Amino acid sequence: MDNLLNIGVAQFTVAENPVIMRTILGSCVGICVYERNKKIGGLAHILLPKNPGNANPEKYADTAIPMLIQQMLKKGCKREFMTAKIAGGASMFKFKSTTTLANIGENNVEATRQALAKFSIPIVAEDIGGSAGRIIDFFLEDGRLKVKASGDEKIYYKV
Amino acid sequence: MHEHIQQRIQSIIQNVEQLPSLPDVVSKIINMVNDPDVSFKHVADEIAKDQAITANILKLCNSAYFSKGKEISSIDRAIVILGLKEVKDIVVIATTKSVLNKVIVGYDLARGELWKHGVAVAMLAKKIATECNQKTIADIAFTGGIIHDVGKTVLALFVQSTFKDILNTVTEKSITFQEAEKVVMGFDHQQIGEQVAIKWKFPMVLQSIVRYHHEPMNAPDDHKMIVSIVHVANTLCLMAGIGIGSDGLYHELNYDAIKLLSLKDSELEKLFADIPELMMKAKDIL
Repeated sequence: MDNLLNIGVAQFTVAENPVIMRTILGSCVGICVYERNKKIGGLAHILLPKNPGNANPEKYADTAIPMLIQQMLKKGCKREFMTAKIAGGASMFKFKSTTTLANIGENNVEATRQALAKFSIPIVAEDIGGSAGRIIDFFLEDGRLKVKASGDEKIYYKV
Repeated sequence: MHEHIQQRIQSIIQNVEQLPSLPDVVSKIINMVNDPDVSFKHVADEIAKDQAITANILKLCNSAYFSKGKEISSIDRAIVILGLKEVKDIVVIATTKSVLNKVIVGYDLARGELWKHGVAVAMLAKKIATECNQKTIADIAFTGGIIHDVGKTVLALFVQSTFKDILNTVTEKSITFQEAEKVVMGFDHQQIGEQVAIKWKFPMVLQSIVRYHHEPMNAPDDHKMIVSIVHVANTLCLMAGIGIGSDGLYHELNYDAIKLLSLKDSELEKLFADIPELMMKAKDIL
């Protein structure tokens, strides 16, 4: 796959068809926003829910998602044609529930929902929670999302 | 239990030639560095015997992660500027990469993922050791971090053929992936890794890290602290998705290990949040 872009932890990228964006997720959340008319997509890989202040904005859901969307709008994307799919947010299989670290996956998903809601971008598919690691491929030709987890593959077509 | 698989793994362990190899220089250097009376010259001479390794080591000495800003052009200078322990860790990186930088089937790790995971755990473990007032063992935490999952390179083929059974065992018995490996195949990746560390003539403390990184409280008392450090580093890197495979987060975050290190929630979160910057620094090691 020549057009494969690997997105690392705490990074985001906006690209257009025919690119495929890939990232690997544990407790992090991958946010895949697609503009179906222009076939432009953005993928943000966030590590934590809330930016404590002036930390690297790409790391946190509440600062990375607005940046991602702004960049897509700058490229001419229209908000009414944009939808999101989210994946990740897993938790350790066994842990003591009092450690805040254990809830990072859930908190990441929650902060992601809030940030997307602020821009009125609907979440059309999600593959979240549990304890599986996920390799996700986001295809900008049609916005589909392939999620490989625990040896199985699922494809989410809705855009 | 798949008995034929258990027998095949048993025969690999008994016939150590089937386990991955490492040049003898590595265990020599590790043991020299542990000797308080060792001379710099002696260590430098030992490394310099291997021309191929030497070139690679000098490159690593000048990488962003290890460099102290001064150009290093000889092993002697490297030992003076970086110190013996740092040079030992560089020797480990230069020599173990070929063993760990592979496609790991079964665990679904693409080429480079297990290597990246080892380097990430090593750097984070070193950072934790330093911040938890265990600076004297920070270099051992680093070495242990690099090699802790070496058993996966051997077990991968067998995990591939039993994966569904292992995952079903995880959910049915509510046990971790590594515990289920043992139920289904008779061995887990920690035990195989320990055999590799023994074959490589690595010291007991490194054997313990490999053997107990998912169950730090079962490590010998002397090694509980360092195994806990690698355990926490490993957990945080997996949560960040670095080298996470088909076993996912089907593991335990051991609370006693966190207590032993006196790590507060806020400190754990800070360590987790620092992982992306750490990975940036490691770019030219990977």
